[in-house]
Amino acid sequence: MTDKNNIALSVKNLKTFFYTNNRCNKAVNGVSFDVEKGKTLCIVGESGCGKSVTAATIMQLLPTLSRIEEGEIIFHKDDKTVNIEKLEKNGKEMRNIRGSDIAMIFQDPMTALNPVYTVGFQISENLKYHTNLNRKEIREKSISLLNDMGIPLPEKRVDEYPHSYSGGMRQRAMIAMAMACNPKILIADEPTTALDVTIQAQIFELMEKLKEENDTAIILITHDMGVVAELADNVAVMYMGNIVEAGTADDVLRRPTHPYTKALLESVPVLGRGKNQDINPIKGSTPDPYNRPVGCQFAPRCNWQTESCDVMPEITQINKTHQIRCHKYEQFFEKYDEKRNS
Amino acid sequence: MTTYIAQRLIIFFPMLLVISFLVYSGLELSPGDAVSHMISPELASTITAEQLDAMREAYGLNQSFITRYWIWLTSMVQGDMGYSMAGGVAISEIMIKTVPATLELSMVALFFSTILGCSLGVISALKRGSGTDNSLTVAGMAGVSIPEFFFGLVAILLFAIELKWLPVGGRLMPHYETVWDRIPNIVLPSLVLALMMTAGAMRYARSSMLDVLAREFITTARSKGMPEWRVNILHGFRVALTPVVVLIGFRLPLLIGGSTIIEQVYQWPGIGSMFIRSVRASDYPLVMTISLMYVFVVLTASLIIDVLTALIDPRVRLGKE
Repeated sequence: MTDKNNIALSVKNLKTFFYTNNRCNKAVNGVSFDVEKGKTLCIVGESGCGKSVTAATIMQLLPTLSRIEEGEIIFHKDDKTVNIEKLEKNGKEMRNIRGSDIAMIFQDPMTALNPVYTVGFQISENLKYHTNLNRKEIREKSISLLNDMGIPLPEKRVDEYPHSYSGGMRQRAMIAMAMACNPKILIADEPTTALDVTIQAQIFELMEKLKEENDTAIILITHDMGVVAELADNVAVMYMGNIVEAGTADDVLRRPTHPYTKALLESVPVLGRGKNQDINPIKGSTPDPYNRPVGCQFAPRCNWQTESCDVMPEITQINKTHQIRCHKYEQFFEKYDEKRNS
Repeated sequence: MTTYIAQRLIIFFPMLLVISFLVYSGLELSPGDAVSHMISPELASTITAEQLDAMREAYGLNQSFITRYWIWLTSMVQGDMGYSMAGGVAISEIMIKTVPATLELSMVALFFSTILGCSLGVISALKRGSGTDNSLTVAGMAGVSIPEFFFGLVAILLFAIELKWLPVGGRLMPHYETVWDRIPNIVLPSLVLALMMTAGAMRYARSSMLDVLAREFITTARSKGMPEWRVNILHGFRVALTPVVVLIGFRLPLLIGGSTIIEQVYQWPGIGSMFIRSVRASDYPLVMTISLMYVFVVLTASLIIDVLTALIDPRVRLGKE
């Protein structure tokens, strides 16, 4: 599907389960994808579909009641490959990868920064653990990172506490922290959900710039289809712990084939169509994770459900880049061919 | 920071003044006046009303309430605390003898309970749900609910009488020469006094720590690849500490109140036992001075706590301009 040498991270049949009250929530249930160097992979889906758990699993930052059940997370570090799932959760090897090779940005910059330390201190921690710089160099690097992120007066701001930063500035500081050691992979878990739209655009611009300059692979988790259209090179659509459709941004956005992807795209209001436009929200809500439908997880909410959907469909390769998990994809996909031919 | 401390100090003195007035008024409301306590019951029948009035005039007791309060306040500020009615000893002399003993006891107890309470609480939170956590929880509950004098007596019975490891009570002995000689005497009372504070601080540190460990910045810290101790202590405990410090500050009066009882149990010659004696003897000037001193200690403690929380948590420093 993609050039082997360009892959930064591949996830194969990953399963992460949560155990609470003697029940098992299969939050991530057999997810596979590749992340290419210098490309952005967007993982989209409704709340609770397993996007964030996938991200946390890659970083081994899962809460205590959950564990990796099965599958592989292969990190390609220069010439070597590391199986992240085999590393001890808070062991030395895992810690060496975290923050240095793979870094993460969180959803809410208001709570993701420690309120009692200066921003500079929190950036310097990263440098202290992953580089050999001395104290003075660390400080200079922290200031230049803040400067790169477009924070005014970085020499002064570096010694300020997060509470004197605005939301957008905090997220920039978070990105500065994440980018401190030039990570190979940046995982951004809904980085702009808590910010307003103008700041959103700036943050994404910043991430694009970093991607191009450092050849960083980005895994962007979002539920905003607009963001996907803007930034994604590749897209994976998740539903109830599975990837239901994956491919290049063109594949998924221009020729959405899975009924769920279609429904997601139809539920987005379009600017300029006026307030009377038809928005089609997806009917029903996500099923109870402890009481899942048999077979295709989306079947109960799907307009095209048939008996064959009682069996879980396998991932099928439609073409070189486009994958889908649906029994009836041909029927949907052919329509695009018809359109093109006519 | 300086303005913050200045603000606290500005509130400090008016508060002390108001409370001193309340203490003085309380005394005024109590039955009888100083003169009636000076006369022994046998002589009371032989004394005439004129003689009583003469005595009142001699002591300035016929002046108005406000005037007397003013006189008392101004002499108090100048360091003249008056005389104890039992024995006529200068109160300042009594204070010089007893205050250091009580301070020594409470400070040692405060030190032990803070260190022990915080570290046990953190251990409890980090090993949440384990056997260690559960037994610490049970011990904490017992520590909070069983009264101190009971612990005091059990400790005497066990460590002083049965095992003979430590002395039964007292603070100084004639043959003591260095500070080291005095240590065995302070171990039991300070530990027993610390017990209740330790249990409280431990429970509080545990819940505060659990609360902080669930916060998002802990995940951020972990995502930077730092070792667990740094995540838990530098990022977790540092933030969890603020409410614990406030709690310990609020509990300081408890420590002083507790010392009153513990001093009785261990024959500790501190201000607590003096307080009980003076109340029994209706020695009002002494009661008043000691109460005022307690007030002073509590207010100073809360001032220190305010400054400490500001040091620990930069957000507090903002305050209102």
